[in-house]
Amino acid sequence: MASVVAETVTPAPVIVHRVWWRGRLVRVVGIVALMYVAYRARTLEYPWPDRLVWNTLSIHLDDFQVWLLAERGQENQSFVFTVFEGFSSAIDHLVDWFNRLLLWLTWAGAVVAGTAVVARFGGVRAGLITLFAFASFALLGLWEESMETLALMLVSVSLSLLVGIPLGVVAGRSVQFRRAITPVLDAMQIVPAFAYLMPVVILFSIGPAAAVVSTMIYAIPPAIRITELGIRRVPINTVEAATSMGATRGQLLRKVQLPLARRMILLGVNQTILFALSMVVIAGLIGGGGLGAVVTSGLYSNPALAVLAGLAIVVMAMALDRSTEAIAERTDPARLHLDESTGRTRLLTPLLVAVIAVGIALSKALGVGAAYPDEAGSPPRTVTIEEWLLGRIQVVLDYVQDPTTWVFAVTERVGVFILQHLLLPLQEFLVEAPWFTTVAGLTAIAFVVSGLRPALTTLAMLCLIGFTGVWALAMDTLSQVLVATAIAVVIGVVLGILAAESERFSKAMRPVNDLLQTLPQLVYIIPFIYLMPVSIVPGIVAGVLYAFPVTLRLVERGVRDVAPTSVEAATAFGASRRQVLTKVKLPLAGDAVMLGVNQAIIMVLAVVVIAGLVGSGGLGYEVAQGLVRGQFGQGVIASIAILALGIALDRVTQGTRQSRKEGIA
Amino acid sequence: MNGSRGAHNEREDRMSVRGGLRGGVRLAGLALVVVTALAVAGSAIGGGSAQSCGTVIINEQSWSGSTANTYVAKYVLEKRLGCKVKLTQVTEGPPYFQAMRDGKVDVALEDWDNTLTKAGKTYTKDGSVRVVGSNGITGVIGWYIPRYLLKQYPQFKTWRGLKGKESVFKSPESGSQGMFLGGDPSYVQKDRALIKELGLNLKHVVAGAEPAQVARWSQLYKQKKPVLFYWYDPQYLNAQYDLVRIQLPKRFAGCVDDEKLSGKHACEYPSYGLDKLISKKFATSGSPAVKFVRNWKWTSADQNFVANLIAGKKMKPEKAAEQWVKANPGKVNAWLK
Repeated sequence: MASVVAETVTPAPVIVHRVWWRGRLVRVVGIVALMYVAYRARTLEYPWPDRLVWNTLSIHLDDFQVWLLAERGQENQSFVFTVFEGFSSAIDHLVDWFNRLLLWLTWAGAVVAGTAVVARFGGVRAGLITLFAFASFALLGLWEESMETLALMLVSVSLSLLVGIPLGVVAGRSVQFRRAITPVLDAMQIVPAFAYLMPVVILFSIGPAAAVVSTMIYAIPPAIRITELGIRRVPINTVEAATSMGATRGQLLRKVQLPLARRMILLGVNQTILFALSMVVIAGLIGGGGLGAVVTSGLYSNPALAVLAGLAIVVMAMALDRSTEAIAERTDPARLHLDESTGRTRLLTPLLVAVIAVGIALSKALGVGAAYPDEAGSPPRTVTIEEWLLGRIQVVLDYVQDPTTWVFAVTERVGVFILQHLLLPLQEFLVEAPWFTTVAGLTAIAFVVSGLRPALTTLAMLCLIGFTGVWALAMDTLSQVLVATAIAVVIGVVLGILAAESERFSKAMRPVNDLLQTLPQLVYIIPFIYLMPVSIVPGIVAGVLYAFPVTLRLVERGVRDVAPTSVEAATAFGASRRQVLTKVKLPLAGDAVMLGVNQAIIMVLAVVVIAGLVGSGGLGYEVAQGLVRGQFGQGVIASIAILALGIALDRVTQGTRQSRKEGIA
Repeated sequence: MNGSRGAHNEREDRMSVRGGLRGGVRLAGLALVVVTALAVAGSAIGGGSAQSCGTVIINEQSWSGSTANTYVAKYVLEKRLGCKVKLTQVTEGPPYFQAMRDGKVDVALEDWDNTLTKAGKTYTKDGSVRVVGSNGITGVIGWYIPRYLLKQYPQFKTWRGLKGKESVFKSPESGSQGMFLGGDPSYVQKDRALIKELGLNLKHVVAGAEPAQVARWSQLYKQKKPVLFYWYDPQYLNAQYDLVRIQLPKRFAGCVDDEKLSGKHACEYPSYGLDKLISKKFATSGSPAVKFVRNWKWTSADQNFVANLIAGKKMKPEKAAEQWVKANPGKVNAWLK
């Protein structure tokens, strides 16, 4: 009830903005200063004490893996394993079936069917985007791989929705259930996907099933969360009205809550698809095949091809995003009767079926191949688009690999600067500082920023990290996360203010933001491996690139949202444009930054861990090595530590997310 | 429509609910029709004509030499034996052993003695993974430096010469110590333990995946700067860059090669006889491809030639394989005997 009231009553325009976070910031700085004093004044080394480490954990985990493998290999398996095997082979078959279906359609048939369906339900524009996407897959020479990825997506997204939407509905209706699953969902989203690959592979073996399961773990939370939000957003008086008129719970759900939450649920579908797509590359590491495998194996043999496959993933994400959005919009019953007469709609559906049937029949009759012909038949004089693009990308990669160019001279210096003046000092501080001051300091910060309960959680998580014996590695990762987050926030604030002040800049940044958020992170790490050849830095840069668009958006919105009356008032008092910016707008941007820090830090953590594959040390490297060398114990311990670090970081900064409300109240 | 505002809204709400249901039913109906049609059609093609060879699943590992192996074998299997070849990219060691046990990988053409590890032995013992002879190549792992360094520091031929001169290799991330550039996390290595037990003042810096590591040392090489790193042979880049392997202490009985295991590590890496592996399922399938894999064998020069075409010259792997096969009919025919 309270929230409804708060939403309807708009606060009066405030001229003097109260900076709620300033006091906390001062206290946080104070705590850090104390930690630094302890670090400088220490006379002895205080690494995490061996007595407080569970030394045999790794061995136990390895034994567990051996047992699991033995169990799986047995002829007559126990019930649990039979279920797992059955599930895994069922998914394998499902993916395979979709895959064969898409190839059976022939490339021409698939193009006709896909475009026609999207055009019918999503409108001509969405249809054209779909057509463009199919054309790109064909021309980039990645047809089969794209269809494999599409099949994988179809299966993982449908299964995620099958699980996510019902759970979301239940969570939307029951507070207890919501409370129970929230920490689980938090954990699912905080843990970098990289960390759960290993258990998944052990349970489901390498292949599409493992890829689908890891994708689901990542893609289910948005489906649940957004559905839940949709159900809860149904105005309370509507629900009360229905109940007072004697609607049963089932009726309430079917007739009131679900229809009114429809938009949100469809938004959830859209988000689930995008989350699933962002797992494609990681899925390629564990047998998911398709474009993801082209990226991961291309990273070794042909980086240009990896970049090309990355672009194909972006195109697929864009097309799926726009077409699901358009379909949700156009099939919205609220506007259905406005722009389409029923008679026309009736005609359209059979027409659609006819078009698809004719399309497939025609391509079959003409003997069109399953995949778009790669190069067969093309006369040698013509250069295909694929070859031309690969050539261009290669030229760029060759250029950045050349240590004699001026670009390299600049980027190498930047890289060395980040390393020597930011990373190494911070890393030394966190690793060398007495463990108890670090634990106490971080807990105190969590208390100041977020409150007592988050502080206790933080304390528990930090102890867990120490207990598993990877304290130093975790502090190494923490230093990388902090540096990357700080840089991301600075860039985000600067560009966000620019974007808020200039419409043109804002428009120019939008596609860049979209690209950075959809391009698989491994892809844009590639050029930085060459440009900043200092081991940890490419990972940091990738983390920054992934996280700054979020801060940018929040800051831009924050500055733009400044009530025009405040700006007018300030101008009336004779404030210059610069004064308006620094005295009125920037404090509000500060709010937005505080909101963004929490999100940015979790995003950066995910990337820094993946960057273990390309040279960042710390926990990410442990997982990468555990995964690829099959060292289960090592990998799982590092995974647990990443989970704990993620939760701790989330709790420490959580207060920045919530305080907005307090600031207004 | 000419009622009060409230009535209008109510009516619209009701309409929209009904409209949604109708739309949903229609959509579901359509989806059903399409899926049924496709399923019928799909099952019709599903049968497919069975070939005597069937499908062979070869695992391609991450290094370029493995890509060369895989595509040459694929080319011959497809063109000469009429097999259908599928490729997977599962990492070496337990991950691909497990995939073989599960029947998801049939063949691996280059195993760097993973079968000798504790985990590996469990798979070879129960027969789910079978070693079917050498692929003809001996693998070498070690510490490498560019040859131009020997001019100024001839003592760097052996590890003893490094002592006291570690700072020559210093880099931004190693501080006053020298930098040792570690290998791809997926490869066999024990360098941290070696550095410690040999008492060298080196900092082990993780370079990450192989391309990242190559980027790092090759840039230093191009600038003629000092660099010391984990490297191996056969590798096509060894023809492009003039590298020298530093002599590490000789092997002794009981020397351990896995830094995760306790014991003495202070000896050079062993030389690896690279083996071909096949799964139990494939071995008992009766496919002519089994005999082909047993016969398959070539030299590191062959492998480097093809790997260089693919990774160095960026030729399509299929074309590179074709080029080598056409130039070496004798070797190919020996595999098919």
